[in-house]
Amino acid sequence: MQNRKLKWKSDFEKSVIIENFVNRGWIKSQEKEEESTDWNVYWATVWNVRNIFNPKNGFRLNDQQIINHFPNHYELTRKDCMVKNLKRFKREQDKEVLETFNFDFLPTTYIFPGEYSLFVEEFHRNPNQTWIVKPAARSQGKGIFLLRKIQQLKKISGTAITSNMTQLNLASKENYVVSRYIDNPLLIGGKKFDLRMYVLVTNYKPLKVWIYNKGFGRFCNEQYTTDVAEIENMFVHLTNVAIQQYSDKYSQKHGGKYSIDALKLYVESAYGTDALQRMMDDIHNIMLTSLKSVQAVIQNDKHCFEMYGYDILLDSNLKPWLIEINASPSLTTTTPVDKNLKMNLINDVYNIVLPNDDFPDNDQKQQQPTKVGGFTLLYDESLDPNNRKTQKRQSVKIWK
Amino acid sequence: MQQLDNQEILMKLKSQKQFWDIKKKIKQGFSDQQKIGINDIQKFAQSCEIEDQLIKLISHILKKSKKRETLKEDQIEFLNTSKIKWTELLFKNLDIVHQKAKNQEEDDTNTDSKLYIYDEKNLLAFLQTFKQQQPSVLYQNVQFQSNKLLNINIPLKSAQQILDKYQYILLQEELPEEKINKIRKQIENEHLDTELEKIAQTYVPNGERCLLYLKYFEFDHQETVLQQNFAKLQKECSNQLFFDELLEIDGHEISEDTFYFVFQEQILTCLKCFIRDKTIKENIRIQLQNGMKKEHAEFQLPVTGFFPFKNISKYVAPLCYLSTKIHIIYALFKEFFCRYFCFLHAISSEYNSILSLCMQIEEIVSTRSPKLFHHLKVIGCDTLKLIIHQLIYCFVGDMDPPHILTIYDQIIGHDSLEILVILCVGFLNKYKPKLLLAKNYENVQQIFQELREDKFQELVQFAYKQ
Repeated sequence: MQNRKLKWKSDFEKSVIIENFVNRGWIKSQEKEEESTDWNVYWATVWNVRNIFNPKNGFRLNDQQIINHFPNHYELTRKDCMVKNLKRFKREQDKEVLETFNFDFLPTTYIFPGEYSLFVEEFHRNPNQTWIVKPAARSQGKGIFLLRKIQQLKKISGTAITSNMTQLNLASKENYVVSRYIDNPLLIGGKKFDLRMYVLVTNYKPLKVWIYNKGFGRFCNEQYTTDVAEIENMFVHLTNVAIQQYSDKYSQKHGGKYSIDALKLYVESAYGTDALQRMMDDIHNIMLTSLKSVQAVIQNDKHCFEMYGYDILLDSNLKPWLIEINASPSLTTTTPVDKNLKMNLINDVYNIVLPNDDFPDNDQKQQQPTKVGGFTLLYDESLDPNNRKTQKRQSVKIWK
Repeated sequence: MQQLDNQEILMKLKSQKQFWDIKKKIKQGFSDQQKIGINDIQKFAQSCEIEDQLIKLISHILKKSKKRETLKEDQIEFLNTSKIKWTELLFKNLDIVHQKAKNQEEDDTNTDSKLYIYDEKNLLAFLQTFKQQQPSVLYQNVQFQSNKLLNINIPLKSAQQILDKYQYILLQEELPEEKINKIRKQIENEHLDTELEKIAQTYVPNGERCLLYLKYFEFDHQETVLQQNFAKLQKECSNQLFFDELLEIDGHEISEDTFYFVFQEQILTCLKCFIRDKTIKENIRIQLQNGMKKEHAEFQLPVTGFFPFKNISKYVAPLCYLSTKIHIIYALFKEFFCRYFCFLHAISSEYNSILSLCMQIEEIVSTRSPKLFHHLKVIGCDTLKLIIHQLIYCFVGDMDPPHILTIYDQIIGHDSLEILVILCVGFLNKYKPKLLLAKNYENVQQIFQELREDKFQELVQFAYKQ
């Protein structure tokens, strides 16, 4: 165990990060410049990580440095890249003779502008279908809207849309993803919600994945309805806290956040133990499949780890759907319970990536227990890569 | 008591699955024989315990056929008089509340939120006025002791009896998957309430809890009836009552709770239906208020026979976890209230009543933790004041839902609210070290304002520590 105090740096002025570092007795890096390199632990923005790993900058991380993103994390966390990688992975898996992954968790999605014509065909085949349009690289619900008529795409094209158009010229340079809207979400108390769950990846090759036992459902403040008149009411349809906090009905006390433990109790009590187990197995499948889909493309750097925020929507049949994966899940705390969760989350992350404030070698990583704080090892490809099937089935039972 | 003749008993037997299982067993026992006499059947039944099963089944039917009588009069006349006084007080409170509500309508800036008829502190304060009564010929069998709530001649179990009864909980361990599966099958197949009670005492898997409760209350084959009854009540909710406003205000606290805010609308709907439900009066085990009609009063008691009180929402909330169907949640809430929670608001010498439970808690704490009991008195802090909220609302809001549902299991398991006595004693013992350092009531309040997490098993363990 090292006796020296580690130096930390953070691009976020978030108490859950800073208090964690201070509580560990780590010292803040005194170098003020953004490009400073005198640190051991860096909680960085995705842009700074990109700069650090940009070969033009000539900067190389040393063995005593660890950072919270993989260089090209966007392969998983940009909505268009996630979709592209999942589709590619599915095509590859369809050719495989061995057990295939279950991909039935991604709603039908098209990437604009490239797949506009395919979307139009599908749109006309199902004229009553509602679609959800999202900018590929934005967060917090910004720029999202529901689509029932093709003409609504004027919002993003800047010009009128006609039914015979085969190409879409976007007003801005950014891509969009258009997905089939899940219009039968599971409701509790008549309100829509989605799940935020945390997954830690400490290595991509071989893949090592941890799942956190605490998370929460994010509830809308208005009763859910498929009434067309309410299609633009974001308080009915979008669960982002960044949006719901502006509702008159928003409560500071709970922030619309309902713990995963409470949700599990509800599902088990109201639907049965088997239904809960199936739901959790399906959620684990989403996590593993999505991570596997980018395993070959992510630059696996030993200095990196990443804590993802998975957004998952349950439908009325308790089937989970993948909405998106966040590279920088919000660490803002809205309630005391929320603060407690996120403090413990960050603490447990560092207990895994820097056990005893030490930089573990491969052997030490292998010997790590399968449960650290609130994290449980979901999948470790290095254990037995030839018997991945058996290992995968064993790991998903860890959850209960 | 309604007596059943043999024909009626047979009809009821034939409606029970267990009867047909027994009949099948007997048939299988005599499959080869041509002539079967009554003596043969009797011998066979005795040899393989079928006779016992049949006796249990018939006893169960006879017990269930007894019409549940609502307790109106108490054996102690003093308590009957007190109930009248309490009801009069509540009518006065209702007038005040009504006036406040009117003032708020007229003046938006008036945000006095104390729009409730009574809360647990009011009820405890009323009970504590008993201490101040002067001995009189009116109060036969009543003794007043200044250091405790009340000491009257009602059959109370000794502290040791209660502690012995629930000691088995300390020995409960996490069950292996095999055992849990066995319990699941038992719940699916069992119908007798005595057997369901045994299961509830031991362990109830989350996935089967709703079924166990429905079976225990004999609702498991009555979903259509429950649905229809609830739909009728929902229709009546379109006629607004003044009490609806009080229920909406009451729901505000639940709407801020991180475990129950998602059920806010369901809770309110259940309560609005509840105060319109005419069947409550005949099903409730004990009359809460003296059902007198007040002359010239704008409002009378609701058809339930009692006023809704502060935090009534808390009784509904945990049950919302058990089903997606509101008529099921309502049926369970109604049954729990009519059988058990009603006693927490009734001035009575009955065993489950708030009076009896309070006296039981005082007895245990004063005998097993006399230092704490005395210290609280010295600093001007009443033992009962510290736990009255937890006691009356069964720890809802103080414990997470899984622990609350375990409390509900134990209530059914023993057909009694006694478990609350154990938990309240455990609660006081848990915080005893800090309470002994408190110098005044403000210090005590600070102790309980800190973020805390109380758990069922933990409080039971503390109850047995001295």
